[in-house]
Amino acid sequence: MPEIHVIQKENRYLYEHYFDRYFRLRHDIYVKGRKWMALDRPDGLEKDQFDTHESVYLFCLDNSQLIGAMRAVPTVLPNLMSDIFPYLSIDGPVRRRDVYELSRIFVIPERRGEHAGPRIEMLLLTAIMEYGINIGLSGFSIVLESWWLPRFLRVGWKAHPLGLPQMIDGMSVLAVLVDCEEETWKSLCSQIGATRPILTWRGLDRLDRQLLPEICVPPPASRRRR
Amino acid sequence: MHVQEAKPNWGRRALDFVNAIESAKTSAGVISQFGKMIGDLGFHAYIMAGIPAPGQSLAQLTVANGWPREWFELYNRENLSAVDPVPRYCFNTLNPFEWKEAPYDRVRDKPAHLVMTRARDFRFHEGYCIPIHYDDATGAISLAGERPDLDPETKGALHLTSVFTHGRLRALIKGSTGARTERRLSKIEAEILRWAAHGKTAWETSRILAISERNVRWHLEEAQRKLMTKNKTATVAIAIVNREIVL
Repeated sequence: MPEIHVIQKENRYLYEHYFDRYFRLRHDIYVKGRKWMALDRPDGLEKDQFDTHESVYLFCLDNSQLIGAMRAVPTVLPNLMSDIFPYLSIDGPVRRRDVYELSRIFVIPERRGEHAGPRIEMLLLTAIMEYGINIGLSGFSIVLESWWLPRFLRVGWKAHPLGLPQMIDGMSVLAVLVDCEEETWKSLCSQIGATRPILTWRGLDRLDRQLLPEICVPPPASRRRR
Repeated sequence: MHVQEAKPNWGRRALDFVNAIESAKTSAGVISQFGKMIGDLGFHAYIMAGIPAPGQSLAQLTVANGWPREWFELYNRENLSAVDPVPRYCFNTLNPFEWKEAPYDRVRDKPAHLVMTRARDFRFHEGYCIPIHYDDATGAISLAGERPDLDPETKGALHLTSVFTHGRLRALIKGSTGARTERRLSKIEAEILRWAAHGKTAWETSRILAISERNVRWHLEEAQRKLMTKNKTATVAIAIVNREIVL
């Protein structure tokens, strides 16, 4: 099964060799694929002012191949909503110590919509909930293309809109705040058939982490029945 | 002096609406609030449904039906979703659109033109449609009215309230029939398939579970029938994909 790795300033040196590929994938997906031309750069890397020392990344690795990722930025620092899309939130951008902003959630095209095993998208959505619980977050703010919203709701993410969707460069976009909750995480785990936490914290042993709740999975009623 | 009427703040109203339906406990409660909200924007009918593939009917994919009964029956009876340009256009766009933006050839595509014309008999003069794209299915929320309010702000409010209403109704429907609504296998069938997935023969499984081999085979066939598969391997594969068994 693909693994989801947490990468942040303390352990980034262990993953440095993935980052060139990571920024290239983002360029392929967001500039070439989705035509977010404002992000275009001559070096073929899609990298912005929110890729900083403080950004956290979840990388989905399958046999050491990067097949999906997500970025999380503390909302007390500059982020997409605060600096670029403040008008998407009626009450102004979210700026809270216990809320991180998620962005650049993607799965490489070859691995989208797979039916064998849990979908990579579901793995990422489960993993970020687990990360949030581990570091004590209460929610995630997201500026997203609106067509993603029904997909979030379908997997059981509790999303609260912050303002009306608006057309930006021909695409409907909106801002939401998603609750980071144990219940949601547990339900996602059961949807993907995970029986234990799924995150890999390589090189982060010294990080303070909150305890995760037990996942109750009915054990296969087995030979001990009689 | 002419007193201008205060312009309603649709953004705030849409957010309040979403809050209200999140705490609503029944589908009926959600639907009545939704009807009121879109009514204030000039819409008198709506439907929320998956878009039928050939061989499927709209009725079996409907999440909420706010169409006049006569139109719903006519639409199903004559299978109009196959020729209606509105659901067809959902496959070509991620964004919501007005019905009049759904293209069709007025001269050559007579069936499409006919749907749009017949809809007018039900005061469906204009409409707004929000496509829903999942990996494995496409659906739509479609709203109809005589002279609806369609400026960028009201469109945003319709979009938001419709998507959240759809999400809430789905969650309530799922909750009311139990979380295992999509599970088709019985406990014993799932267990036997789990052993099969681990390479056990029917005889071995019968020893493990202390039941007769005949019994094991019978459950395997029953599972095969339910999942509409052709052999044991396919049954195990489908059961895993549908998450009816976890290894």
